[in-house]
Amino acid sequence: MASVTIANVWKYYGKTSAVRDLNLNCNDGEFLCVLGPSGCGKSSTLRMLAGLEHISAGDILFGERRINDIPPKDRDIAMVFENYALYPHKTVYGNIANSLRLRGMSKADIQQRVQKAARMLEIDHLLDRRPGELSGGQKQRTAIGRAIVREPRLFLFDEPIAHLDAKLRAHMRVELKLMQRDLRTTMIYVTHDQLEALSMADRVAVMHEGVLQQFGPPQEVYHRPANRWVAGFVGEPPMNFLDCDLAEEGGDLCVRHPNFTTPLLPEQAQIMQAKGGGRGVTLGIRPDEIALAAEPGLHAFSGQVMITEPLGGDLLVDVILEGSKVLVKAKPNYRGGRGEVCHLTFDRERWHLFDREDGQAYF
Amino acid sequence: MASRDIVQYRSPGRRLLSILTVVFLAAYLVWTILPLFIMFVSSFKDLLAAFQLPEVGDWLSIGVFFDFKPTAKHYVDLFVDNNFGTYLVNSIVAAGGSAVVSVVLGSMAAYALSRIEFRGKKDLFFWIISTRMAPVVAVMVPLYAIFRGVGLVGTLPGLILAYTTFNLPFAIWMLKGFFDNVPYAIEEAAMCDGCTRFQAFRAILPLVAPGVGAFLVLCVLFAWNDFLFASIIGSGGAKTLPPATRELVQPQNIQWGKIMAAGVVTTIPMMFLGLLIRRYLVAGLTMGAVRE
Ligand SMILES: Nc1ncnc2c1ncn2[C@@H]1O[C@H](COP(=O)(O)OP(=O)(O)OP(=O)(O)O)[C@@H](O)[C@H]1O
Ligand SMILES: [Mg+2]
Repeated sequence: MASVTIANVWKYYGKTSAVRDLNLNCNDGEFLCVLGPSGCGKSSTLRMLAGLEHISAGDILFGERRINDIPPKDRDIAMVFENYALYPHKTVYGNIANSLRLRGMSKADIQQRVQKAARMLEIDHLLDRRPGELSGGQKQRTAIGRAIVREPRLFLFDEPIAHLDAKLRAHMRVELKLMQRDLRTTMIYVTHDQLEALSMADRVAVMHEGVLQQFGPPQEVYHRPANRWVAGFVGEPPMNFLDCDLAEEGGDLCVRHPNFTTPLLPEQAQIMQAKGGGRGVTLGIRPDEIALAAEPGLHAFSGQVMITEPLGGDLLVDVILEGSKVLVKAKPNYRGGRGEVCHLTFDRERWHLFDREDGQAYF
Repeated sequence: MASRDIVQYRSPGRRLLSILTVVFLAAYLVWTILPLFIMFVSSFKDLLAAFQLPEVGDWLSIGVFFDFKPTAKHYVDLFVDNNFGTYLVNSIVAAGGSAVVSVVLGSMAAYALSRIEFRGKKDLFFWIISTRMAPVVAVMVPLYAIFRGVGLVGTLPGLILAYTTFNLPFAIWMLKGFFDNVPYAIEEAAMCDGCTRFQAFRAILPLVAPGVGAFLVLCVLFAWNDFLFASIIGSGGAKTLPPATRELVQPQNIQWGKIMAAGVVTTIPMMFLGLLIRRYLVAGLTMGAVRE
């Protein structure tokens, strides 16, 4: 087991840069998720950790040891590949057992470990099949099995459960998290699914176009996004963004929009005064942090219902404002119909202001 | 996962097509097997019986062809008087040796060419195949001079080297295509499992087995049936079956019986090789390894 430090790491493929000046550290036994959209450099980062990709610049350390020039086999890592990468000519058993055989483990030990891993992944009835005779989900679980039979210093998982169906994915999320907590093996887990990242990780690293956007515990990434991009990427349904101005009104600093003028909370006003307010800002608020009512109230403003989408337990309501629109998560008993006027109240504890130019969050 | 069965639907056109296919195959079988059959039967006849043939078109007396007392005399003569045992061994060593050397070197070179980027790779690759572009006869004379200079003429290593010279570029070209089709991820997984680069190369070898198998056959066939190299480079100490058979044709005495027997001796090992290698020639071995 080991801690991992990624210091000023760059990855170039020819002239295109896939990872730019990445700094991350992962503590011993920690579950770290790298979250980002397709093509943001997640796999490149993971492959550099595994030693499959040359590190263009910077250092990677396992513990105190710089591993830039150490081949994969000596790094003591186990990796699960995005595309399974099973040995097609070996059975499931052979695939899982391969790394143990290479280490010269006794037959009985191998048998026992493979059985244990297979049972956990519910593939113990498939051990005699070859990958060609497995479904996608079974292949993916075989690939995971191949990683977990070993007891490596570091797990590297590249979207290991992305291709499973929703139910199996939920099951595997729990299983993987439990497994990691039991083994206490350091885990670096790449995913584009924010739900996976938020639910499993101790800390989440959000990446976009090769650049680290934010690095912190899931709660922090969710509740205190570092910039507008993170705010928009994390959370489902996504955060609403409204272009606003700051204005003084009745002695209070207010957020002004054609539909509403709402005062900031005192500590928020302080931040804005300190950080050169008066510039254009973007207001960000999540759909479930807006209250929807038929009657007006304090700090409420009106809009018009465009459409409602019932989602079983929740009800999503698209509300038209002047020149923009917000998505609101309402109680399922809300009865407003298309074209009706409704009244919205923002949860001011939970809203965010971003600089309109560079997208950085004020709070 | 798709199964490998081909779905077919009945239609009159397809029926006709299948009948035609059977007719064509029957004709083709007669065309290819008959000469071998005659060779095989004749090798057990003595000289007189061998030439007892019915008149052309007289199919009723075809029985004459089969009316003979089988004799193993020609085979015994071949191996006792004509030293065919040695020649057979020479053939096996020359063909097998060059095939093994070509496959070993060829697969490593092909793997490197498939996996590693370096400057001038395209040029190198083209150069390798360009060595096969000149006809064999064109390089025969200089090759002979060189081989004589280093004392390789008339030796088995010389013959193996000569065949390898011609088989190796072919091996590299053919096997590179097979390696190109093996996803990188499989050997990367092997390296994460704890393999060195060389072990990872060995780990994916089973996936190119169809290529290696097909190439082995081609390579052995090339050497086995070769006459030119064998009679020039191999002349003297490393005589193989084809030139040895050629020597049975003497101006006053063409020994048909022995020639037929030599033909059989030459053909049978290749048939067994075909049977042996067949199980490696299953394509689609990488099926299901990675998600496409
Ligand atoms: N071998 C390569 N050669 C050139 N460019 C590459 C190569 N591999 C990746 N890239 C580029 O680097 C960037 C990052 O790729 P990477 O595979 O790390 O993305 P990712 O975050 O894993 O995406 P995904 O979620 O789709 O797997 C992409 O823009 C990609 O086009
Ligand atoms: Mg990826």
